[in-house]
Amino acid sequence: VTVLARRDDALSPEETEELLRERLGDAVLGTHAEYGTFTVHLEPDAFEAAARFCRDERVLAYDFFDCLFGVDAREEGFDVVAILYSTSTGNRLCLRTRCPGGREEPTCPTITDVYRGADWHERETWDMFGIEFTDHPGLEPRILTVENFEGWPLRKDFHLASRVAKPWPGVKEPAELDEDGNVIERVPRIGDAPGPYELDKAMAEQAKLANPAPDTPAEVEEPVHDSEEKPEPAAGEQAETGIDQATYDALIAEGKSERIARSKAKAAFVKKQRQQAADDASDEVAETESGQAVAEDAERTDTAEDSGQVLSGDVEQEAEEAEAQATEAVKQAADQAAYEQEQAAAERVESDEVDPSEAESASQKAEDKRKAAAEARARKAAERAEEADDAGDADESGDGGEDDA
Amino acid sequence: MSDLTTRETVMPGTAPGEDVLLEITGDGDFQTADMQLSIGPAHPATHGVFRIILEMDGEKVVGARPVIGYMHRGFEKLAEHRDYRQIKALVNRHDWLSGFSNELGVALAVERMLEMEVPDRAQWIRMLLAEWNRILNHLMFVGSFAIELGAITPMFYAFREREDIQHLMESATGGRLHFTYNQVGGLKLDLPKGFLRRSGELSTMVRSRMQDYKDLLLGSDIFRARTVGVGPLPTDVALSYGVSGPTLQATGLPEDSRVTEPYLKYGEIDVPVPVGENGDSFDRFYCLLGRIEASLDIIDQILDHMPAGPVNQKLPKQVKAPEGVTYVRTENPLGQLGYWLESDGGRTPWRLKMRTPSFSNVQALPYLLQGTLVPDAIAVLGSVFFVVGDIDR
Repeated sequence: VTVLARRDDALSPEETEELLRERLGDAVLGTHAEYGTFTVHLEPDAFEAAARFCRDERVLAYDFFDCLFGVDAREEGFDVVAILYSTSTGNRLCLRTRCPGGREEPTCPTITDVYRGADWHERETWDMFGIEFTDHPGLEPRILTVENFEGWPLRKDFHLASRVAKPWPGVKEPAELDEDGNVIERVPRIGDAPGPYELDKAMAEQAKLANPAPDTPAEVEEPVHDSEEKPEPAAGEQAETGIDQATYDALIAEGKSERIARSKAKAAFVKKQRQQAADDASDEVAETESGQAVAEDAERTDTAEDSGQVLSGDVEQEAEEAEAQATEAVKQAADQAAYEQEQAAAERVESDEVDPSEAESASQKAEDKRKAAAEARARKAAERAEEADDAGDADESGDGGEDDA
Repeated sequence: MSDLTTRETVMPGTAPGEDVLLEITGDGDFQTADMQLSIGPAHPATHGVFRIILEMDGEKVVGARPVIGYMHRGFEKLAEHRDYRQIKALVNRHDWLSGFSNELGVALAVERMLEMEVPDRAQWIRMLLAEWNRILNHLMFVGSFAIELGAITPMFYAFREREDIQHLMESATGGRLHFTYNQVGGLKLDLPKGFLRRSGELSTMVRSRMQDYKDLLLGSDIFRARTVGVGPLPTDVALSYGVSGPTLQATGLPEDSRVTEPYLKYGEIDVPVPVGENGDSFDRFYCLLGRIEASLDIIDQILDHMPAGPVNQKLPKQVKAPEGVTYVRTENPLGQLGYWLESDGGRTPWRLKMRTPSFSNVQALPYLLQGTLVPDAIAVLGSVFFVVGDIDR
């Protein structure tokens, strides 16, 4: 076989397109070259003629049949791509056509008469996509899947069985997640795996529970230095805020890295705060009977939180955190108080066999008290948060914020 | 090829010195019922779960029908459900004898779509390991082809070298078959200390032993009798089937994508391409051995060129190929490996077509087996080098 094509005068994509248009006319729908891959889009009717022309035209000489396969084109059906290569010019050409028949009955003309190798590739495409190649010598039996297999595996609406049965372990499911790990909602379309979005959502939530944000206090087993006074920051030194200075110093002395020490000290600080709040709550139980709990507790909460009021640096965030922590502490205290109240009431009922109505009223009373206490604390927490904001503002405006507090 | 109709046979059971010469004459039209012989799916001559149904007329093969798909694992579907970094562990496995070369193709495709510059050192190391991987693969077939023809020794020789090379690869990658050493933008790690020196030593050692294989096989009369002229393949038929690799080079066409479409840094070095004449079993095996020596030459050149520098680069948190298509072709040990990567801009490929060399090469088997005798069929099956996982994917 003599070929005119030589490597040094191989046709450029533009020249190839011109030649194909000259021969095939309107059957050439368009071309595009990207990432070193030149594709010609064709009318399905001209698919075989184009392949034959590419093989026989002596300046093209696409003698090497590379491969043929299907691509899912969503609502528009399926594409068939044939890749040809010329061993004499070194050019590669992709012929692409959209199968008529939509998703229901896709068909495509066969090119087995042009290239022997197209036989198996077309059988595989039929097996995977259900594309009927007209005049193919024999698509059956299924070439890769078992003979009695049902369905067309590579269609996007054929769902991967393992993914239906079991979510992908870990949050590595390749669906779209935003930076916070939340699933980006979008309109479902062909090509979506079965409910990966639901699965992802569930997994993202699980992952959040399992790995809480680093700022929320985790259960760090750290001795709480209740009695220790917070040492005064040395003159001229920027005070560390929101952390337990003693713990921090101790950890640094132990040779821990600054980051670890800071986070542990922070946890210790928070724990200390909680402890204090809990102490207050237990005091309160004793004092409820005298009926002065609410007012006193309010004061005490103030004193308990004094230590947290030295704020500087990233004040806004600190303030938010402090608010969250305080609310939590308050809630815990309230719960504990209520629980103890009820316990006490129940005990009284059991031991003294008092009038049930009295017992009821006692528990009612306890409930009321609990509510009142909770309200007061919520109020207090809000005030405190405001204060913190103020302190932050003051701090931002000048150095005096600290001293004022 | 022996001819059935004029074969001279010594009748068994005759007394010494009393040989009876029996000559079968005629036009070969004596009645033999057509018979189907099913070889495989589990048969040593097919090394893997590959089945071929031979239509026999006496001892002559009049038709052959390969039955594939016993190892179909749906890699193309699975790849659509994994992100670009997870895919390399998948593509590692379709041709289990060329794990490194497989993952290289996917890395190149994603890098091309991201328009990413890969550090020089990473490219040279990729070439170095790809060539070692090629030798690993070819040595396996040197051994297995010989064993199918009844020669046991070359298998032991081949495994001696394979073990050394696998130790070398393992020292860099941690794997013996599935290396997963490539990553988008470079390599997982730099080479361990002393790797280049050991590569040089091993290259010299393997080269010194190449003469053993030539003496044992190419120089053996039995081997020549079994392979010369058996299953010839013309170039145009091979091209029409899409046959590539040593099977195509045996037909006399020096087609090798390392030369014709250089990737990595193959354009900067000299890549020898051995070619055959007739495309028969002997030529295919000759090209296979020649490719080992070519790879050794390439390794020596790479060792001279190896630059210093980084081997990978920082990747974004999510690797997303932009919308578009690309086709990357690399020269795998068994032939041309192509990856068609089509992306819709998401985290997973929209379509990853694996164009594997074995699928196209095996498709030419019915053509090659037509008219051969059963023992020759084994020689043909063994010399069209394929891996079943690479056919079925």
